[in-house]
Amino acid sequence: MSVIRAPSGTPGPTADKACTHTQHIGELLQGNPNLWRGCDMAGQGCHGRSTGFPQLDDILPGRGWPDRGLVEIISPCWGMGELQLLIPLMRSTVEQGKWILWISPPYLLYAPALVQAGINTGQVLVVERDTSCKDALWSMEKALQTENCGLVLAWQNWLPGKVLRRLQLAAAAGDTLGVLFKHRDSEHSPSLVRIQIRGSQSQRDRFTRSEVTVIKARGNFRPLTTHVDLYQQI
Amino acid sequence: MEDPERTKQLSPSLAAKTAARVVKLPTRGETGVAKATRNGGATTGHKGSKRSHALWYALYLPQLEELALPQQRQYLNKLAALMQEVSSTVSFHPLALVCEIRSSLKYFGGIDVIHCRLGQLVTAQLVEWALADHFLYAVSPTVTGSLLLARSGHNALVYQKDNLRSALGQLSTEVLQLNREQNRRLYNMGVRHLRDIWRLPPAGLRRRFGSDFLNQLNQALGKVPEPTRNYLPPPAFLTCYDLPYELENLDRLLPVADEIFAQLCDFLRRRDLGTSQLLFSLQHEKRSCTEISIGLRQPSRSRKHLMLLLETHFSNLSIPAPVTAVKLEVTQFDAFVSHSDPLRTSEKWGRGKWGQTENSFDSGENQQRSGRKFYSGPIFPHPISPNDSNLNQLIEQLQARLGEHHVKSINSVAEHCPEYASQQTDYLEVDTPGKKRQAVATQVALHPRPFWLLEQPLQLRIRRGRLYHCKAITIVSGPERIETHWWSGTDVRRDYYVAREQNGSRLWIYRERGADKRWFLHGFFA
Repeated sequence: MSVIRAPSGTPGPTADKACTHTQHIGELLQGNPNLWRGCDMAGQGCHGRSTGFPQLDDILPGRGWPDRGLVEIISPCWGMGELQLLIPLMRSTVEQGKWILWISPPYLLYAPALVQAGINTGQVLVVERDTSCKDALWSMEKALQTENCGLVLAWQNWLPGKVLRRLQLAAAAGDTLGVLFKHRDSEHSPSLVRIQIRGSQSQRDRFTRSEVTVIKARGNFRPLTTHVDLYQQI
Repeated sequence: MEDPERTKQLSPSLAAKTAARVVKLPTRGETGVAKATRNGGATTGHKGSKRSHALWYALYLPQLEELALPQQRQYLNKLAALMQEVSSTVSFHPLALVCEIRSSLKYFGGIDVIHCRLGQLVTAQLVEWALADHFLYAVSPTVTGSLLLARSGHNALVYQKDNLRSALGQLSTEVLQLNREQNRRLYNMGVRHLRDIWRLPPAGLRRRFGSDFLNQLNQALGKVPEPTRNYLPPPAFLTCYDLPYELENLDRLLPVADEIFAQLCDFLRRRDLGTSQLLFSLQHEKRSCTEISIGLRQPSRSRKHLMLLLETHFSNLSIPAPVTAVKLEVTQFDAFVSHSDPLRTSEKWGRGKWGQTENSFDSGENQQRSGRKFYSGPIFPHPISPNDSNLNQLIEQLQARLGEHHVKSINSVAEHCPEYASQQTDYLEVDTPGKKRQAVATQVALHPRPFWLLEQPLQLRIRRGRLYHCKAITIVSGPERIETHWWSGTDVRRDYYVAREQNGSRLWIYRERGADKRWFLHGFFA
C-alpha cells in the first residue's frame, strides 16, 4: 500500500511512530493528482474501465483498460479469445453513444455475434480487408483523432515504433482507445498496454483457461500473468 | 429603382425622369424573387408608373382542370420553365401562367414573334402530355387584366392601360369565377357584364361582395398593386476555370480549388442551400477528364470542409496528364441545416469530471471542481450524439480516400442460414432502411455465434479418430441443427457444434448431414 516502508529491524514503538508518519505522508501523496507514483498499480485507484475479468483487472494498473491510448493484444493466431476480452469494453463504448471502427479484420465480421454480445450493430463500421497497410494506418489515425469513434480495432502484424507512437499521439488527442492485434511482440513499443494471450497448455483445467500476460502496462513494474477463462459465455 | 432613397433626394422632375428611364429597361437577369417583392410592395407613384409599362402575357389552360392538383402544379411548373425562354418573370395562377413580355419585345422583335414562339413550345408540350393542344391567351398591362381577358377566350391584346376599362367591360361576369351565391346576387342585381359593375359605387360593392372582389377588379384596372408568386428555376451551379498554364502538381491546384469553393459557398449562402454531392473534374489535353465525385453525409456549405475532402481525394489520385482546366458542378442541392455550437466549450473537461477522475481527486480538488460543476454536469448529462458532425466528417474522409465501397456498415438479418444472417452494406445505403435494421437487430440467436465467419467453410481432417484443425479438437457443446435453404440453390443440412482446439481457441464447426458426413470449420469465437 504505502510508498515508504519502515526499516524492518527497528524496535516496536519507533516502528509504530514511523508507521503513522508513513501513513500520513502516503495520504498526502495520494491526494495529489499531479503526482504519478511508480507503485500506483493494481488495486489502487479506479481509473480504467473494467475488463469484465476480475483476474485481469487485478493485474492491470487502474483496474481496467485505460481511457485513451493504444493497446496491443498479441496472440499466436487470430481467434484465441482476443475479442472475448474486449466485449465489455465494446459494450460500454456503444452505450456511451460512440462508434466502433473495425479496420481490415482478418475474417468476415459476423453480426449475430455482435447482437448476442449486446453491441448495437448500428454503431459499428467496418473498413474492408483488402485495404492496403498504408490506407489502414491512415484510417486508424484519422479515426483515433475523432472523438465520437470511441474504439478503433485494427489488425496489423508488424509496425515500426514511429508509427505506433504516432497512433498513440492520435489516440491521446482524440480521447479514444485504439486496439492493435498482432502476432508478435515488439519490445520497445510505445503503446500503453501490451497483452499477450496464449492457449492453456495444462491438462488440469482441460485447456479452458487461457494464459493472459500483461507484458507492459504504464504503471506496472514487470510482466504479470494470470489465467482467465475467456469463453465464459459459450 | 434599386435605391428609392436616392431617387427622393433628386429634384422632383429629375426624379420622375430617372425613375421613368430606369423603369423602361428592366434588366433581364433579375431574379424572380427580387421582382416579386418589388411588385408586391409597389405602392408609390414611381413604382406604379413602372407597372404601367409592363405588359403581361397570360396563358390560360382550361384543359388542366381535369387533372389532380399535384399534377396541375407539376405541369404548370414545367410550362413555366419553358416560358422562361421569353421572359424572366413568370408567375403562377390557377390554371394559368402569366409572364412579363415588355422587356423582351425589343429582343424578339415584336409581340407576334413572342406569341408564335410560346405557342410552338406550349403546343408541343401539351401534345406530349396527350392533352388538348389549344390554349387561351391575352396581353394587357395588368396581370389580373390579362388573366380575365384570357379566361373570356377573346385572345385580346390591350397595349394601353387607359383602354383596359373598356376592353374588360365587354366581358361577362363569369370570368371573375365567383361562387354560386355571389353569381346569383350579381345576376339579381342585373349585372351581366363587367361594365355594369364599373357603374356601381365601390363602397356598396365592398359591403356586398367583400374586399377581395373589389380588389380583383382594381387589380385588373391597375389601380392597386398585384403581388404574384413567381417561378423560381431550380438552382444550378457549374463553373469552369482555365488554368493559365498546365499543372502537374495537384497541390498547386488547391488554391484554385479553394477559390472555386469560395464561389460555390457564396452561391449556396445566398440561396440558403447546402450541397451533398459535387463533381470536380480535372481536364486534360487530348484525354478524357479525371472526375472526382465528392459525396457528403450531411449537406454542407463549409469551404474548409470541402477543401479537406478534396485534399483527401487528391492525396490518393494520380492524373494521366497535366491539368489544363478545372470544372466544378453541383449534382445535388439540399436545404441547409445549421448546427448550433454547444454551450460547453471543452468536451474533454466535462468528461474528466464525469469519467475516470471522480474518485482519484481529493476533497480539495473536488471542491474546486464542484465550483465548475454548474457548466459540465447536469445540463448535458447525455453523451454526445453519434450523429455528430465530426463522425460524419471521418466517414466522408474514409470514403474519399478508400473508396465508397470500402467502408461498410454491418447488420444482422433474420435468416436461419449462417451465411446469410450477416450483411455488410455500403455505409451510404444504410440511412434509408434504418428502421428495419433496428427491428432485425433485436433478434438474438439462442445458440452461440462466432465473431469471425469463414467465407468458405474449411474441411477438417480426421486423424486416428480425432478431429484436427491445427491441433486436436474436442467438442464442447452442440449440436444445433440448421436445415434447408433450398430456395437459394444450395441445400443446407448441418449440425453445428462449439469445439475447443488444444491451443485454446474456440471453433464453430459443423458436420454435414449428407452421405459423406464430412466435418467443416465455419468460424472462430475469437
